[in-house]
Amino acid sequence: MKKIIEVKHLTKKYRKIKAIDNLSFYVFENEILGLLGPNGSGKTTTINAMLSLLSYDKGNICYLGKEITPDSYDIKKEIGVVFQEIAVFDELTVYENIDYFCGLYIEDKKIRKKYVDDAIKLVKLEQFVNYKPKALSGGLKRRLNIACGIAHKPKIIFLDEPTVAVDPQSRNNILEGIKKLRENGATIIYTTHYMEEVEKICDRIIILDKGKIICQGTKEELKQLTGIEEKVTIEINNLDRNHIEKFKKLQNVKNVEYRFENLEITFIKGKNNFTKLIDYLKKEKISYNKIYSEMPTLNDVFLELTGKDLKD
Amino acid sequence: MFLHNFKYSFLFLLKNKSLVFWTFFFPIILGTFFYMTFSNIENNEKLKKINIAIINNEELKNDKLLLSVLGYLSEDNNNEIFSTIYTDLEKAKELLENKEIIGYLEIKNSKYLITIKENGIEQTIFKYIIDEIIETKIIIKDISSTEKNINLEELYNKINNNITKVVDMSSDNLSYTMIEYYTLIAMSCLYGGVFGMYAINNILANMSKQGARVAISSIKKRTLLLSSLLAAFLIQLIGSLLLLSYTIFILNVDYGNNIVNTLIMTVTGSIAGLTLGVAIAALFKTNENIKIGIILSITMLGSFLSGMMGITMKYIVDKNMPLLNIINPANMITDGFYSIYYYQSMDRFYFNIISLLIFSSIMVMISIVRLRSQKYDSI
Ligand SMILES: Nc1ncnc2c1ncn2[C@@H]1O[C@H](COP(=O)(O)OP(=O)(O)OP(=O)(O)O)[C@@H](O)[C@H]1O
Ligand SMILES: [Mg+2]
Repeated sequence: MKKIIEVKHLTKKYRKIKAIDNLSFYVFENEILGLLGPNGSGKTTTINAMLSLLSYDKGNICYLGKEITPDSYDIKKEIGVVFQEIAVFDELTVYENIDYFCGLYIEDKKIRKKYVDDAIKLVKLEQFVNYKPKALSGGLKRRLNIACGIAHKPKIIFLDEPTVAVDPQSRNNILEGIKKLRENGATIIYTTHYMEEVEKICDRIIILDKGKIICQGTKEELKQLTGIEEKVTIEINNLDRNHIEKFKKLQNVKNVEYRFENLEITFIKGKNNFTKLIDYLKKEKISYNKIYSEMPTLNDVFLELTGKDLKD
Repeated sequence: MFLHNFKYSFLFLLKNKSLVFWTFFFPIILGTFFYMTFSNIENNEKLKKINIAIINNEELKNDKLLLSVLGYLSEDNNNEIFSTIYTDLEKAKELLENKEIIGYLEIKNSKYLITIKENGIEQTIFKYIIDEIIETKIIIKDISSTEKNINLEELYNKINNNITKVVDMSSDNLSYTMIEYYTLIAMSCLYGGVFGMYAINNILANMSKQGARVAISSIKKRTLLLSSLLAAFLIQLIGSLLLLSYTIFILNVDYGNNIVNTLIMTVTGSIAGLTLGVAIAALFKTNENIKIGIILSITMLGSFLSGMMGITMKYIVDKNMPLLNIINPANMITDGFYSIYYYQSMDRFYFNIISLLIFSSIMVMISIVRLRSQKYDSI
């Protein structure tokens, strides 16, 4: 795999606070890389530094071996960014906004028209081309924000929490669009604090906390880190306290919790955990309503590594 | 790229409705308002002489200069400005009380004491002229103590010339309101700087969200700045010219029949406004509304000091704090128009043009220092 971007020892301080602390990672060609982290973990700061908008205290950032500076117009030409905050002009219509930003890269008018139309199609804003941003709902505005960032068909795309405060339908639209961009050959750096999104679309994941990388790798690699095999949830009414202690003594059981009539049992690696559990329930004549087994989530990974929940 | 950015900058500045209202139409409305209020005052004031009293005592009799000048100013010629009564203190007080005079002058122990009851244009002119006379007297004294063979006649002529100027400034030659229209153009030129401010804010990464998006594009920063500013300047100029035409053709404001110089003044004034707007955009890292507030305050204060709310203010500043008006761009513009209208010699006009250009250069230098950075500590 070809490394497109190399970030080494990147450190950025705001006065005394280290917003990001000694980050090193690669971005490979045509992958979707997820930067996952809670609020304030340094995702936006990392992106802005990688765009050469922010000065940083240490480290360097290379695109195909070339260090980026504000004058690296040849590199910047290949980059598209969707900022976390909506950055469009209220005075211009949907079409004009996309055309304006696209025109900062694409001079040829014919090509530009096609590109703008493509972008509108991608985010499904065809019916709204003559609307002003103020007349758009939050989700539609987000889509416009995306279109403005990617209309010039860049090879490298940064998306900073593009789905925040968006309804599920718009969110799916956006995620589909991002997948399509990758199919068309783009490399994507995607930040979010929704782990479900990362699990859905990212090839590789970097988890950030307090400005530091706490782990990186593919989904499977990260889940290995937890040492958890599976998590079984059983709905049981009025479970006896004594039973809980007994569950804890079963083979391979790592943790047992009983909340809101739900018994959650996490298993470490081992064979046939689930079947053994069902056998045990029969033997003890414990009646239950529902039982299901899950793989560990990225939240479990985060919990394991930082001792806190990724969700607020 | 230049044209693309120029076109869109032009478009989004012009489509900003509140911006266009406050820069284009507000001055026109204000001008119309001036016109309606002043056309009445004007007609009355022109005919009216200023009624004053002079306390008749020994000291007055010895003050040949004052007597001759006041005599000249009260004489029945086209330049008369005062209707003067020579009387005693008691009577003068009574006249003032009954508002038959606006003030009186008493010379006591070589001091000139002016008594007035209220403040206004007429009172200011009265004080101003007496001040002028006293100053001239001091000069004469100085000269006569060093030079024995002094040509008194020549001196009197000089004084008379000066006095004529004063008279012209305040009598029917210069209508009171003319200056106020000039300050209106000055206001429009300077306030037009908000277009420059917006143009800059829209393309700087550390000033707006859109600016970050523009800044990461592959367009050169210099191209970006120049094309945006050109668009801003053009719109601003359209606004100022619109106002200028309105005052000329609808409000009949007199610019001394020198249209070329009037245009040069307007364009130079607009440059000063634009560069002021740019400097403020570059200097402060706050939101647009606060920047508008700063530009508006500077514009309004400047216009006020140069006579927008009454010519009195300009007199007072010129007299007591001349430095303030030397650095006040609104005054440079106002004074420039005034010099086109009033003076035959071009010196004062050029002086104002050059002052404005110096002001603009300083603004540009401030901006360059701030605009050069391409990476920011925080955005
Ligand atoms: N302009 C700034 N001045 C000072 N501190 C800042 C600034 N911008 C960010 N920070 C701090 O730097 C840290 C990282 O912020 P950053 O915006 O990069 O986080 P983030 O992961 O993008 O968070 P979010 O999910 O809320 O967008 C935070 O502690 C934040 O308070
Ligand atoms: Mg962020």
